[in-house]
Formats: sequence, C-alpha cells, structure tokens
Amino acid sequence: MSKGVLVDLTKCVGCGSCTVACKLYNGNAWDETTPTLGDKAKLTGKNWTVVHHKEVKDSNGQPVWRFVKQQCLHCKEPACVSACFAKAFQKTEAGPVIYYPHLCVGCRYCMVACPFNVPKYEWEKAFPLVTKCMMCSDKVEKGEAPACVSVCPADVFKFGEREELLKEAKAIIAKDAKYVKHIYGEEEVGGTDWIYISDVPFDQLGFKTNVTKRSLPSYTASFMHATPFVGITWGVILTGLYHYTKRRNQVSKENNKNIKA
Amino acid sequence: MQNQADKEKERQVTRRGFLKMMGGIGLTGITATIAGCSTDPAGGKGWMPQQYQVASSFPVQVKGRIPIDPTNPSITRDDKKCVLCGQCVEVCQRVQTVYGYYELPIKDDITCVNCGQCTLWCPTAAITERDDIDKVVQALEDKSIHVVVQTAPATRVGLGEEFGMAPGSFVEGKQVAALKKLGFDAVFDTNFSADLTIFEEGTELIKRVTGALDEPLPQFTSCSPGWVKFCEYYYPDLLHHMSTCKSPQQMLGALVKTYYAKEKGISPDKIFSVSIMPCTAKKFEAARPEMNSAGKHAGKPELRDVDVVLTTRELARLIKSKGIDLTSLKDEKYDTLMGESTSAGLIFGATGGVMEAAIRSAYFLITKQEPPEALLNLTPIRGLQGCKEATVNIPGVGDVKVAVVHGLSNARPILEAVRKGDAPYHFIEFMCCPGGCISGGGQPRTSLPPSDEVRQARINSIYNADAHIYAKRKSHENKEVLALYEKFLESPNSHIAHELLHTHYEDRSKHLTVKKNA
Amino acid sequence: MASHAQAQKWSFRITPIRVLLLLLSAVAIGAIIFRLVTGLGTVTNLSDEWPWGLWIGFDVLCGVALAGGGYGTALIVHVLHKDYFHPIARSAMLTSLLGYLLVMAGLFLDIGQWFNFWRPFVSWGHHSVLFEVFWCVSCYTTVQVLEFGEIATERVGKQFHSIFKKALPVLMIVGIIFPTLHQSSLGALYLLMVDKLYPLWWSPIIFLFFLMSSFFVGPAMICVETTLAGKAYDHWIPIPILRKLVRISGYAMILYLIIKIVDLTNRGVLGLAFSGTFEANWFLIEMIFGIIIPIVIAFTGFSNSRSGLFTFGLLVSCGVVLNRMNVVVTGMIRSTGVSYVPSLWEFVVSAGLVAMGVLAYCFIVENFKILEHDNHSHAA
Repeated sequence: MSKGVLVDLTKCVGCGSCTVACKLYNGNAWDETTPTLGDKAKLTGKNWTVVHHKEVKDSNGQPVWRFVKQQCLHCKEPACVSACFAKAFQKTEAGPVIYYPHLCVGCRYCMVACPFNVPKYEWEKAFPLVTKCMMCSDKVEKGEAPACVSVCPADVFKFGEREELLKEAKAIIAKDAKYVKHIYGEEEVGGTDWIYISDVPFDQLGFKTNVTKRSLPSYTASFMHATPFVGITWGVILTGLYHYTKRRNQVSKENNKNIKA
Repeated sequence: MQNQADKEKERQVTRRGFLKMMGGIGLTGITATIAGCSTDPAGGKGWMPQQYQVASSFPVQVKGRIPIDPTNPSITRDDKKCVLCGQCVEVCQRVQTVYGYYELPIKDDITCVNCGQCTLWCPTAAITERDDIDKVVQALEDKSIHVVVQTAPATRVGLGEEFGMAPGSFVEGKQVAALKKLGFDAVFDTNFSADLTIFEEGTELIKRVTGALDEPLPQFTSCSPGWVKFCEYYYPDLLHHMSTCKSPQQMLGALVKTYYAKEKGISPDKIFSVSIMPCTAKKFEAARPEMNSAGKHAGKPELRDVDVVLTTRELARLIKSKGIDLTSLKDEKYDTLMGESTSAGLIFGATGGVMEAAIRSAYFLITKQEPPEALLNLTPIRGLQGCKEATVNIPGVGDVKVAVVHGLSNARPILEAVRKGDAPYHFIEFMCCPGGCISGGGQPRTSLPPSDEVRQARINSIYNADAHIYAKRKSHENKEVLALYEKFLESPNSHIAHELLHTHYEDRSKHLTVKKNA
Repeated sequence: MASHAQAQKWSFRITPIRVLLLLLSAVAIGAIIFRLVTGLGTVTNLSDEWPWGLWIGFDVLCGVALAGGGYGTALIVHVLHKDYFHPIARSAMLTSLLGYLLVMAGLFLDIGQWFNFWRPFVSWGHHSVLFEVFWCVSCYTTVQVLEFGEIATERVGKQFHSIFKKALPVLMIVGIIFPTLHQSSLGALYLLMVDKLYPLWWSPIIFLFFLMSSFFVGPAMICVETTLAGKAYDHWIPIPILRKLVRISGYAMILYLIIKIVDLTNRGVLGLAFSGTFEANWFLIEMIFGIIIPIVIAFTGFSNSRSGLFTFGLLVSCGVVLNRMNVVVTGMIRSTGVSYVPSLWEFVVSAGLVAMGVLAYCFIVENFKILEHDNHSHAA
C-alpha cells in the first residue's frame, strides 16, 4: 500500500506555508528570481513545490481566485524511474519517488520523460543535479506527513493510504455539488499518489488534462522485454547468413574455376 | 617541401591563437566558478531563519501562516524569514477575527483589513509594513516639490522607543524637529484634523439624533481604516451607521492640496503630502480610489490627497538613515495654519479618545456651555477593557449612551447587537487595533506578542499630555480650525466640507463568503 | 605529395579548408573545456523547458543515424558477402567509427555529472531504454575500434594483424547486432513522450522508423562521403556500385514511407500532416525532400550521374537530420510552450566536433589503406 496526499483545492487560501516548509525541511535556498507563490511561481532547481495563483471563473461565471500547489505527483508507475538508466530515480514501497544524486549521470532523460515536467535541473551549477519533491520520504517512512502537508493552516491536505484517500475523495465529490466530478491523479498516467479535487475544472487551473491513462513505463516495457530476444535471434540469423553466403561464394568460385578449366 | 614550411607556419599561428583563447576562456571559467558568477562583496548573507530549527527534525509546533496578497499596499512578508510559527494566524484569527471568518473556497480577494497587527506579532519580523521610505526621500530631494507632512496623535508616544527611550516617552517636539531636519517644507499635526473631525462628526451625530439626517443610530466612528474595511467586509449592512467623515489623515490630506495650497499660493500638483502614522491600514486608506477629493476639486483627479504614508517604524528608520539622533534634538513647534491642536485631538490616539473628545465638544455645541470637569476625565471609557460604555447626560438632549470598542474581536458582539436592534447606543467608537492607535500595526515592535504594559504606558502618556501638557482640551477651542471654517469651509457639514471631508463606503461582501455564526 | 605510397612517413596535408577546420576545432575545444568547468547553464541555452537541445538532437541522434552507414555496409559486404560493394566498405566503416566517437564526445559533453558517466555500468537501470542505448553504443564503439584494429595493424603493431583478421567476422556480426538494437532504441526513447511529442512523430513504432531511417541513410552518406573524398583524393567509386547501393536504400525508403502512412492512418492523425500548422509543414518538408524526392531520384536516370547520386545523398542525409531535429525540437515545442534556439556555443561545439571528425578522417585516409585496398585481404 502506498501513501498519498489528497489535495482539496477549494480550501487553499494561498498562504504559501507549504512552500516555506519545503524550503526549511529540505534546506533549499530561496530563488531570488523565481517566487514560490503567485502568478510568477515556478518549479525550479530550488523550488520543489510552488503555489500558483489562478484567476478563473467559478461555476456561476463569477471571477474567483484559486491557488494550486504544484509538486511531484509521485506517479504509481513513474516515467522518470523507468527513464533513468542509472537507477538514480526509484519508487519506494511507501510511495515517494526519490532521487539518489550520487547515481545521477545528468542526462536529463527524466526531465524529458516526465509528463508533468516536474524534475528540474540546477543549470547554474558546474555539476548540476536533477531536483524535485521527494515527498519528505524519510518522514513518510516513519508514517509522518510530508513537511508541506503538516504545516497547512487551512486543512487543504489529507495524508494517508492512497486507496483510502481515493475513496474519501470520491465521497466528497459525490456529496458536494460544487466539486467537478473528476479526481485528478486517479487515472492520469496510470494513477498518481498525490490526488486533487477542485470546484474549478482542472484544465483552467493549469493541470495537464490530456494525458494518457496508461502508465508510461508500459509503453517501453514490451520494447525492452523484446530486446534480448531480438538481439539473440538477429545474431543467429546473421551468423547463418554469414556462413551461407560465404559458402555460396566459394561454391560459385569453384564452379567458375571448373568451367575455366 | 613547400608544404612543410606552410604547415609549420600554420601550426604556429593556430598554436598561438589557441593558447591565447584558452587563456581567456580559462580565466573567465575559473573566475566564474570560484566566484559563483557573483560580484558581490563578502558578508551580509547570514540571516538564517533556520536558527530556529534543528536540521532534519521537523518542529512539531509549526502552524502555518496567514495569506498575504503580494500586492497588499500595507504589509509584505519576507519568505526567507518566515518560520511558520503561526503567530500571524493567532492574531489575525483570534484577536482580529479576520482570518478563518470566511468560508472556503475564497472568492477573488485575500481578505485583509490591513491592520498590520501581524507585523507586531511576527517573531522574526518576516511580516513588515510595505516600505515606502524611498518615495519620501525622492520627494525630499526634489527641490521643485513642496513636501508637507502630518503626524498622527499616537506616533509621538511611540517613536521614542525606536531610539531607546521608555515606552510612552512623549517626543512630540523632537519628532517635529526631526521632520524639519529631514527637510519637510511644512510639518502639520493630524491632531488639528482630529479636532476638525470632532466638528464634522459631532455635527453629523447631532443631525442623526435630531433627525435632520435620515441615517440610523448608533453612529459609528470612521477614523480607523482597518475597522472601516472590516465593516465593509463583514457587516456591509451596517455601513449606514458609519459616519461619513473621512479619517483625520484624509481630511488633512484634502486640505493640504486645497486650503493650504490656496493660502500659500502653491499649485496642488507641486505639493507632496506625507503622513506619519502608527498604522499600516493608513497606507491602504490613502490608496483608496475615492481619496482624491483635493485633486477633483482642483480638476486634477489623478492627484492623491495623501501621497505616501510612513509608519512610525519607517520614520524611525528614515531618521536613523540620515544620522539624526532623535533623543538629542531640541523640541520644535508645528507649523501654523494646520499645526494647532487641542488635547481632544491628541487623545484620538488612545482607545476611547475619539468618544471623549466628541463628548467634550458635543456638550458645548449643544448646550453652548463648557462641559463639566467630569466630562474632561471620562474614565469609564478609558483603559484596555475590550468594550466600554458610558452614559452622559447632556442638558437639552438627555442621556447619551456611548460605547467604545477596540480590537476587532470585541467589535463583533456589539455589531451583532446593532444588527438585531439590541444596541441602545447613540454613538460607538471602533478602533481596529487593541488599545487604539497607540498600539497600531505601524508602531514600534515591542515584546512578543505586544503586551498591555506597553499599551498602557503609551495610553498614560497621552492622557498625561491631555491633562498636563496641552493648553486646550476641547476641539472647539482650536483657533486654526475655527479660522479654517471662516476662511474656507464655511461651516461644519457645509457643501464644501462634504466635498472634501466626507466619503462613502464600499460593500466588500462580494469578495468573500462570510462565515455564519463564526 | 602526401600519400600512403611513402609507406612509413606519417603525413597530413594542410589546405586552407583544413586550417579553417583546425581553427573551428580549437575554438570548440575551448568551449568544451569552458563548459566542463562552468556547467551547462553558462554555455548552452538549455533550460528546464528544454533539457535536451542541439547536442542531443544533432551530435547524438543525428550522429548515430548518419554513422549508421557502417553497419549497413558491414551487413551487405561482410555478412551477405556482396563483394561487389567491397570498395566502399572500409571508408564507410571508418566514417561510422569516427561518427560514434563524436557521438560519445557529444554525450559526454551533454551530461551534467560527466565524471559519473560510467555509473550505468554498475548501477543498472535496466528498465530504461537509455540503458540499452548506453550499453549498445559503448559496446559498438569498442567493437568498431577493434574492427579498425584490423586496418591499423596493417601499419602499426603488425604482429597483431593476424589475430584481428581472424576475429573480424565475429566482430562484424556483433557490430551489426548492437547498432540494430540501439538505432531502434534511440527512437524508443521517445515512447515515453506520448503526451509531449507531436503525433506526427510520436508513434508506438517510432523505434522502427529510427531503425529503418538509420539503414537507408547509410548509402546516402556513402554517396556524400565518396563524392567529397573523390574530389579530395581523386579516388572515384564506380557509379554502378553506388547506384546499386542507392537502389537498396530506395527500396527501404519505399517501405518506410508505406509503414509511415499506414501508421499515421491507423492512429487517425494523417490529416494533421495537411493541417498547415508549424509541425505539419516541417513534417511535409521532411517527407517530401527527405523521402519522396530521393525515391524518385533512386529509381530514375538521375541516379546514373555523380551529381544525381550526390543530390540523393544530400537530400536523404538532411532528411534524416531534419527528422531527428523534428523529434527533439519541432515536435516538442507545442507541449513545452516556449521556444528554443541553441546558443552560439552550442553551434560552435557541434560544428567543432564535425570538424574534428573530418580532420581525423582525412588523417586516417592519408595514412592507412582506406580508399584503395586489397580486396582479397577481406575476402576471408
């Protein structure tokens, strides 16, 4: 069973406590050029989680503000993990997708592979590493909520077993008419451990809604499985061809000699 | 072997060029790497909020923080200093009943009354006033601009603390001296316009009582912008109770660019109007779109009545930055025309002061007689009790029931009573901040959270000045106010007085969903 | 005159073009050192939105594809024993070797923790397509170096020549398996980008397209290369040999075109190609100039002339380069939301790597038996 977080976007007041907690817990420096909160908020090598400010319309057409916390969604079957050829990204039993800097080669395939563009790079450094939210995996191992979750004054988050949170989310959106009837992360890219509910359609809040529901690693799995067999078969065919054509040439040469003789 | 020679030549050229380039690139590279591409001098990067934390052990007492709109005109927060201690939530929710008193999801606003109490509670000073010092320095340096300043009643009992003096030290004269030294062209006293407010607001009250004005009773005071915004958010149905009088800051601002400009023969667009306030909400108030009466009067609606509001803390920083030692300055006097004040104006700075000043003059305006000594020391409405009431017998009117409330959590019960029609009062004074302006969100930071001891010391200082330092104790004795009416405003609540000194309010309930039975 | 006729003297002619190439290489090496010391951010225009840019797109993807001539030729000459094509075998394989060395250099430059490049040898992310690419490219480059050993030992370390000669058939077969695998897996890298890469390029069989195009670009590269080498060294491969090769290429391209159309139709995105969008136009340019026109050239009389063959080679090579760049850049713009233009230094390094390759080619051709060699020495 993997842990997850249920994010109720209707409750967020945009205080940014979560972004501060992230900085404090992970010892990340503040990015002078990129804020963690507001219209210009952006995930960067230093910002592992940010809160976006969105001016949208509610179901009555009234202008409203919504705040959207963004961090790694910790996919059930993460593309980054499948992409990493040095096992620098790994999915833990408890749920978090974590990163081992010493294993990283810096190829950035994870960044290209991530459907949500979450992994970022320390471009300004001479020997840059990939960075992203670790879901405070050491806290989660101990059964504690991630730092950002534990400091929210507005009760936006619920930390627990993903499957139970999913049930709870379903109950909430079924009971309360204000919610859109969709749980973001339930099925996206095969499911994510962080799931969101909202009263404003997710596409208006900057969520990528046209993603596949299939797990991304499944796209390459069959290819990878076939590889050794293709390799061996191909080798056998080539060896066979080599000997066959060599023999054929010799035979034809001998024939030629015979004819000449 | 021609080729051999050519080859040699080419080789030299490329080798020289190559070495040169490598040297250049190497140097740049090494510099960039070692210095981290920074050209900053050493030091100055050591402020670490982590000093409150221990690495890898997440504290259990963190509580998060209040939301602050990045465009908030009054307060800002330095994320780097925030330790998520939750003190801002504590004061905003428990003392001021703002945060947590609206339903989620929010609408299109981060509900904030701009009171700045959070700046006094924040233990790391992550939350501070929005710093507007530069705008004032710029204006002061521009010789073509006439810079006028006014000082609120409460700053004179707070400013000294920033210079090491005891809480409540009375530094009125030194403050004026410092402002003159800073280069302000005229230093006026907001006490003056507080006296003026008494004329306007007192007249309005009498009109409401007598029925000459078709607006309900009780009348609410309107000089605390935090309170006004609170009422606009949470009790918009009661805005008719709010006196239409502008706050003293805005009255003086409107007069500076009309009356003063006319008297001095200065074009209003050459005047830069600054106010020194104990309050962060005053920054918001000055920026309200309708606060351009003088500009509209002069046909230049883009002019603001008050251009910049500096809090007491900002003034202290400005004074220090210019190398001025406040404590050693000789007392100086306010400039004439709008510098005279009575202690009735002064006590606006403490909770109950507006009410007491109003009663002193209402008694006179109604009875044409000076009020008895007891009304000059209306102790029931002084002090730090959250809600105070008094009944004053004014001959010809009878018993006038008044109430005084400070701190917004204390305002709610009485507002609910007014809503239900259960409030027997004629006049209610509301002050946003606990203790009144002397403990406003722009005053010097003290112990954390701010203590009643300090509040009391500042209040005592104000009433001490009222009793012992000021020559006049009743607003209607202010000669300059009387001259103002004579020369410019005609009479209280006249047409021009309405144009310049009165305002209207905005129903802000559409920006939030007020929590029921909060 | 420098030539291998003067058996034991190393020679390298200096011409104005080579001076230019040397200069370019020198500037590129400077830029490379600067990049290795200061990091990617200062030298490249890469960003969090564009983690992969010119170096991956051109140096690696195109480099590998263009160097694919080697394994195709090896297949035809050494496995299928089509001795007819023997005259081109060595030069094709040399180009391939140099191409791969440059690809390795390009990859090395592009990784952030370059001192950690060996990590996947011990930390096996075996579920990653890149893992396969990494191993295959490493092994194949090693195999190619060994293959070149057979040529090199004709001149240096002669005592090992017979060993290399004996090992050659095994090396050849291994040296065909690896490219087959990684040419396709380079395409398979993009299987994960199903929601990011524009549907005209993303396909569940993108690996097949990569493999096929790397095969048919081989003869095209040989046409370009032999034309250039022919001019430089006055050594001309007979037109019929090249024409036959081009025909093989042409058949592969027809197959490629058919599979492409079937694939697009199956996924219902064929219409996108004619939607007039930015992506559609680049796709059409790629298909028309890189596939359709070359097919026409291959099967008409135009391919019976040197200029026709050269045009064919140029169009197909550029078409494959365009295809790879379309995958890396054009097809990703929409999902990225911001544009990417490589920095001057990225161009300089890429151009410099190519320059180094050309110089190395020239040096080796002038000092080893590459262009003219004894057919029978390979017949074994």
